[in-house]
Amino acid sequence: MRARAAEILVPLAVLAAFLGTWEYAAAAGWLRPIRFPPPSRLAGSFVDLAFHGFPEGITIWVHAAITVQRILAGHALALALAIPLGLLIGSHALLDRMTAPVVAFCRSVATLSLLPLALVWFGTGEGAKIFLIGYGCFWVMLSATIAAVKLVDPVLIRAARTMDTGGWAIFLRVVLPATLPRLLSGARIALGVGFMVIVGAEMIGTIRGLGSLIMEARTFYRTDITMVGMLCIGAFGLAAMAALEWLEARLVPWQARAEAQTR
Amino acid sequence: MAAAIEISGLAKSFAHDPGPPVLGAVDLGIEENEFVVLLGRSGCGKTTLLNLVAGLETPSAGRILVGGTPVTGPGGGKGMVFQQGALFPWLTARRNIAFAARNRGVASAEADRLADELLALVGLAGAGHKYPFELSGGMQQRVAIARALALDPKILLMDEPFGALDEITRNEMQDELLRVWAQRRKTVVFVTHSIWEGLILADRILVMAPRPGRFVLERRIDLPRPRRRSDPALIALYDEIWACLRGDA
Ligand SMILES: Nc1ncnc2c1ncn2[C@@H]1O[C@H](COP(=O)(O)OP(=O)(O)O)[C@@H](O)[C@H]1O
Ligand SMILES: [Mg+2]
Repeated sequence: MRARAAEILVPLAVLAAFLGTWEYAAAAGWLRPIRFPPPSRLAGSFVDLAFHGFPEGITIWVHAAITVQRILAGHALALALAIPLGLLIGSHALLDRMTAPVVAFCRSVATLSLLPLALVWFGTGEGAKIFLIGYGCFWVMLSATIAAVKLVDPVLIRAARTMDTGGWAIFLRVVLPATLPRLLSGARIALGVGFMVIVGAEMIGTIRGLGSLIMEARTFYRTDITMVGMLCIGAFGLAAMAALEWLEARLVPWQARAEAQTR
Repeated sequence: MAAAIEISGLAKSFAHDPGPPVLGAVDLGIEENEFVVLLGRSGCGKTTLLNLVAGLETPSAGRILVGGTPVTGPGGGKGMVFQQGALFPWLTARRNIAFAARNRGVASAEADRLADELLALVGLAGAGHKYPFELSGGMQQRVAIARALALDPKILLMDEPFGALDEITRNEMQDELLRVWAQRRKTVVFVTHSIWEGLILADRILVMAPRPGRFVLERRIDLPRPRRRSDPALIALYDEIWACLRGDA
């Protein structure tokens, strides 16, 4: 019980000390507010963004909603393609050997280096942004899915075969449930990639979205807005991870509880 | 009456595996409800032989009859218990057992009832809602045995089922297995590399030697069960089997 309380209180205390020092350093003149706007200034900017917006009329809620929509669309699209393809590749050793270099190659290409190409292919509208997020998520999810299938314990499949299970039934009733925990953690990691890619994907051709908010603010030397935007992305990323972890605990109780036990 | 298992001229080599065959030409007949123990050092082909009987591997030569019919693949009442239990981690103990019953066409409600009955048989009444990770190694093997029994198998193939357990649990499980076997008579082929385990359990012990895998010693044990480790007849057999195993190094 006391350990649990400490687990929450200690990080909070560290955070408060950090913000307090920062605030004091700015007030004492050690930090230039234009470079390091103090926490009180950020809070003010946040309120301003929440009611008036930046550019005028586009509130932080609008930015956030659009960003979250883009991430979710790109992520969902990536999962819809990567999971079936990964299950297929993972189940066929030859196919896996043939595609492994391609997957490693494409995964290594930094997603944002594709930005110029994405603009040529999809224009400056939503398409390019969703493509970039989707690209980042896709390869992560594809490798996670392939690995998940290859890591299914073969003794489970042999056991199922001794119980009059074969072909599709093995796939549906053994391979799928056995891969589920790794698919879910793959989806979580892919979503994290989506959050990492978003700012770059929103750099061009839009004034809506947290990424464009951050870039716009730079033009006006509004470091405070850039920081509020960053913090928002971080907060949404944190919330999304927590939501997916919660979902994992519900969907794969055997895994979550097994892990909790070994902790 | 036909033998429960009839193996003749059975040989097995794996592709990309040079050297002598994993199994030479092996002959073996097992009677109905007989408890046969295969004993031998690691790598002498015990698992391969069991997999062949289960239909999980195909022979390079020879044939296997189970209940008079040739083995063409797994399933069809050839129950198997693996060393690691091989329970499905996403299913509760009850669902694991019902999985086996459902696949041979038992209706859902009946499968659940059968699962509870078998859980009680292996001494796990009331643990049906638990997931495998919530069970100790010994309890997992009890569930695995119950799951194999849910197939209503003609033969039960057990591949070092207690090999991963500590000695105390292992001895308990041997007693448990004999108790269950007394209630549900089955033809059992049990693989182990523990001589004492073989002596406690078997109607007949077959000692195997490697490359080519073959039987080098066969002993029938007609002593009543439960057997005592201090029984002079068992101790004499132990010495004989140990001498034989040591010789094939
Ligand atoms: N799938 C396989 N491919 C190639 N060699 C195998 C395969 N399975 C088993 N073997 C070989 O066959 C021999 C016997 O193995 P196994 O039947 O597992 O022995 P045991 O169960 O008695 O320890 C070993 O030398 C092993 O390396
Ligand atoms: Mg073995």
